[in-house]
Amino acid sequence: MSAAERSNETRDVTLVEAVNMALHRAMEDDENVVVLGEDIATNGGVFRATVGLKEAFGFKRVMDTPLAENLIAGTAIGMATQGLKPVAEFQFMGFIYAGMEQIVSHAARMRNRTRGRLHCPLVFRAPFGGGIHAPEHHSESTEALFAHIPGLRVVIPSSPQRAYGLLLAAIRNPDPVIFLEPKRIYRAVTQSVEDNGEALPLDTCFTLREGDDVTLITWGACVMETLQAADKLAEQGVSCEVIDVATVSPLDRETLLCSVAKTGRAVIIHEACRNGGVGAEVAASIAEAAFLDLQAPVVRVTGYDTVMPYYRNEQYYLPQGEDIVTAVEQVIAL
Amino acid sequence: MKEVHEFHVDSARYLDDHGKPLSELPPQAGNTDRVLAAYRNMVLTRTFDSKAIALQRTGKCGTYPSVLGHEVVGTAIGQGMAKSDVFVPYYRDQAAHILRGVSLRELLLYWGGDERGSAWQNCPEDLPISVPIATQCCHAVGVASAMKIRDQLRAVVCCIGDGGTSKGDFLESINLAGAWHLPVVFVVINNQWAISTPRSLQSSAETVAQKAISAGLPGHIVDGNDYFATVEALDAALERAHGGKGATVIEAVTYRLGDHTTADDATRYRTAEDLKRAWEKDGIKRLQNWLHDSGHWSPDKEKALQADCKQAVEKAVEEYLATEAEPPTAMLDYLFETLPAALQPQRELIANKYRGGAA
Amino acid sequence: MKNFKLPDLGEGLPEAEIVEWHIKVGDAVEADQVLVSVETAKAIVEVPSPQAGTIAKLYGEPGDIIHTGEPLLAFEGAGDDTGTVVGELKSSGKGDGQGAQKDQFIVGAAASSKRARANRATPGVRALAERLGVSLETIKGSGPGGLITTDDVHKQASHQKQLGDAEPLRGTRRTMAKNMALSHAQVVPVSIFEDVDVGDWKKGTDTTMRLVQAIGKACDAVPELNCWFDGDNLSRQLLSEVHVGIAVDTPEGLFVPVLRDITHRNLKDLRKGLENLREAVATRKIPPKEMQGATITLSNFGTMTGQYANPIVSPPQVAIVGAGRIREKVVPYDGAATIRRILPLSLTFDHRAATGGEASRFLGALVDALQKAG
Repeated sequence: MSAAERSNETRDVTLVEAVNMALHRAMEDDENVVVLGEDIATNGGVFRATVGLKEAFGFKRVMDTPLAENLIAGTAIGMATQGLKPVAEFQFMGFIYAGMEQIVSHAARMRNRTRGRLHCPLVFRAPFGGGIHAPEHHSESTEALFAHIPGLRVVIPSSPQRAYGLLLAAIRNPDPVIFLEPKRIYRAVTQSVEDNGEALPLDTCFTLREGDDVTLITWGACVMETLQAADKLAEQGVSCEVIDVATVSPLDRETLLCSVAKTGRAVIIHEACRNGGVGAEVAASIAEAAFLDLQAPVVRVTGYDTVMPYYRNEQYYLPQGEDIVTAVEQVIAL
Repeated sequence: MKEVHEFHVDSARYLDDHGKPLSELPPQAGNTDRVLAAYRNMVLTRTFDSKAIALQRTGKCGTYPSVLGHEVVGTAIGQGMAKSDVFVPYYRDQAAHILRGVSLRELLLYWGGDERGSAWQNCPEDLPISVPIATQCCHAVGVASAMKIRDQLRAVVCCIGDGGTSKGDFLESINLAGAWHLPVVFVVINNQWAISTPRSLQSSAETVAQKAISAGLPGHIVDGNDYFATVEALDAALERAHGGKGATVIEAVTYRLGDHTTADDATRYRTAEDLKRAWEKDGIKRLQNWLHDSGHWSPDKEKALQADCKQAVEKAVEEYLATEAEPPTAMLDYLFETLPAALQPQRELIANKYRGGAA
Repeated sequence: MKNFKLPDLGEGLPEAEIVEWHIKVGDAVEADQVLVSVETAKAIVEVPSPQAGTIAKLYGEPGDIIHTGEPLLAFEGAGDDTGTVVGELKSSGKGDGQGAQKDQFIVGAAASSKRARANRATPGVRALAERLGVSLETIKGSGPGGLITTDDVHKQASHQKQLGDAEPLRGTRRTMAKNMALSHAQVVPVSIFEDVDVGDWKKGTDTTMRLVQAIGKACDAVPELNCWFDGDNLSRQLLSEVHVGIAVDTPEGLFVPVLRDITHRNLKDLRKGLENLREAVATRKIPPKEMQGATITLSNFGTMTGQYANPIVSPPQVAIVGAGRIREKVVPYDGAATIRRILPLSLTFDHRAATGGEASRFLGALVDALQKAG
């Protein structure tokens, strides 16, 4: 069925199903889109993100790779220089580190170092974050490492609709995107999403809720806790504006500054550890450009500066709703 | 216990150190024009190489890795490849680059600290020089995969040094080339040195070519200073790849006659005798002698060729030195297809700070 | 389908032979219900069901050997697809009957946030603005990054106080404001005033007509005041024809139509021309062309209040004649204090273009012409 003939079905999907929907859509619309990774073809991916793709598009475009993350990254780069649009999966963010050299030394700078002669229209996808009672190494949240690399985009969806729209945008973007999927909420929420092939804008934050008293800035799975905290605070008469950063780099500072100009207070929430986390960049940006708008210091609610504990103690590490409420109460009191 | 598999690694050589045939030469020897073209490219490469070193020594070029000793292999690669093939180099492939269409000026720009040195006009799909060791091998199999996915009758040649074969990228890539039956030729230029690490310390494998066996690929050794052996192996491997028969690993045994780079001093770790012995095996001298013996060459022709090469190199150097540096704003202009809003303020900062430096 | 694998039947026995199935595909079974009899090396054993369910598939026939851990049969129902390879993912409990919601979000900043950023001011400045009754949205900040400063607020406050609600000028008012400013910026005006004894005028004399004729005579006498002056290039054009701009005050504003070539037209013609102009202005049917090309201007405010004035010279002209209301004054006449009808006359000229002497002589010629009986 051609793109023109297909009717745009609307389905109730979870976040991981929305990823699957976007992959199907992207591969239908553009024959240059190919998918590769470990266990993604026959098995449909360990989280079923790529289920059905091999059956629909064949083994040439949906490739099970040998077990070698560095190779997956480098092969995707080589494919991209030939004009394919590879969507390569790292089974867990914890295993992307083997591919860092390829990502940082090549994908991020291919366009720059060839003055545009070659470029890498690729997406590196990985499930990230903790909270699923997994064994060690399977709960990483190190998006800051990639946010620090010029030439890379880091995109983190937090809802099925935004996963669909942002993944389409990432695949269509002519430069590399690290697409981190918060696995804790892979199946936690279901939304009605139309398979209309419409991308959402990258490099833009999304305002999920309007409010006047404080701006809550977050991304990924923490959006859930943040919205819950906002509900609780509303009962206390505190009106929260909730912003989903979505594209962690390059950062849409304008949206964040507009909100802080209105509320005068900012609380940043992320699961990743505190030191050098993306929250630090957000806080510094607000301090630089909106100091005169602030009525209280910018506060961060984050994971601790330690390795994510094994799952028995996971809940002590992950920012909880009450941590967010407490932080807001502190800044409101000032 | 019984033997379930037996593997062989062959080695080829056709000329002795003085250029005298040791056995019947392959058909490539009969293509006089091609052989002469090869010789000319080798001399041009060496002429350029000397000049580049001189430029570095006089502060007109940055750190530069001499290609001395690699002229034969690089030329065989450049001649064997079709225009539509893709070359994936490491950083000591000047001889091949020149045949692929990279201009001498572009080579100088790259080592002279200018990104435009990789914006090659004539071979737009070749991958740029690769500094992180062996990482280019993964790109090579990626490019070859794209060709296979699109059913194109094209091939990839990937170069790597003996040191690079110790790295995971190389092993992962030859493995994929085997598993996915990819049209790629890996040329391991075994010049005996990885900076100061001799081949003997790099691996206890008797040959580098035998690493191909672990990937299920054929591995061949050639005397990398023997033009006929090298070009025969390259031609055959490329024919194999173009014909959909899969990948090959070629180990070209040669010697790095220069320092690792202009910043290195090889006398710190190798002896003068070792170097002298290596010079006796020089491939250019060998081919020159054979051409002479075959009546295709003469001292006059040699003199004319040297003059031509000198002139070509000098012209390139002039153009290179006359090339103005890019404006500082170029730092941001090629990061993404379109500069994101988040980076506009930085670009303005650069433009204003270096007034007159904005494009 | 969910597989049920042959459990360890005890004492590490690795396999068993199927003797007899006690159920068939499609049967609904209960937990502990006997499914199959198998024979091990030691004895015949009955294998109970681990759960309630419906039999979907059997993996062997009587006589087949099944090893411990191998699938024996399969139950229908939710597969053992956990959808993960480590840990567990909490599900949203789809299919609870209620349709899923659509995602709600704004791309970028909320409109209220954008507005807040546009009108940025420190809390102190905001408080000041509120106190002075100034809306921040009316101010363009002069501080860094468009920040609204205290001065900005004060300026806006006093501005609002002086003018109340400022009304933007339009049409002729706007043109007048611009032209006057232009004139002021260029012209160097000097005015001379005189009284004209018009006691000898016949009854019903048209004052404007007399003034126009007088101007014609004065231009004859002193052509230097009938010219166009270029202040930028410092040049002037003495003109042979006299085109008098006649200032007319209307409810719509000031209009200055031009009565052309007055020195070469007879009285009747001039009168007709003047009447046409008056009518055209009154009916607003005067084309812009008719208001261009004047060489000198007459401002007769005699129907209004005011005796003398220094009306504005309109470049490139160099002079303007002003005439106030004719009134009775006590003046010396033939040696005695007499009541005579006096026309107050003003002449403003651009001293860049004409000398005081020229202007004075011009005025003298005007007076002479006007004092005649008719």
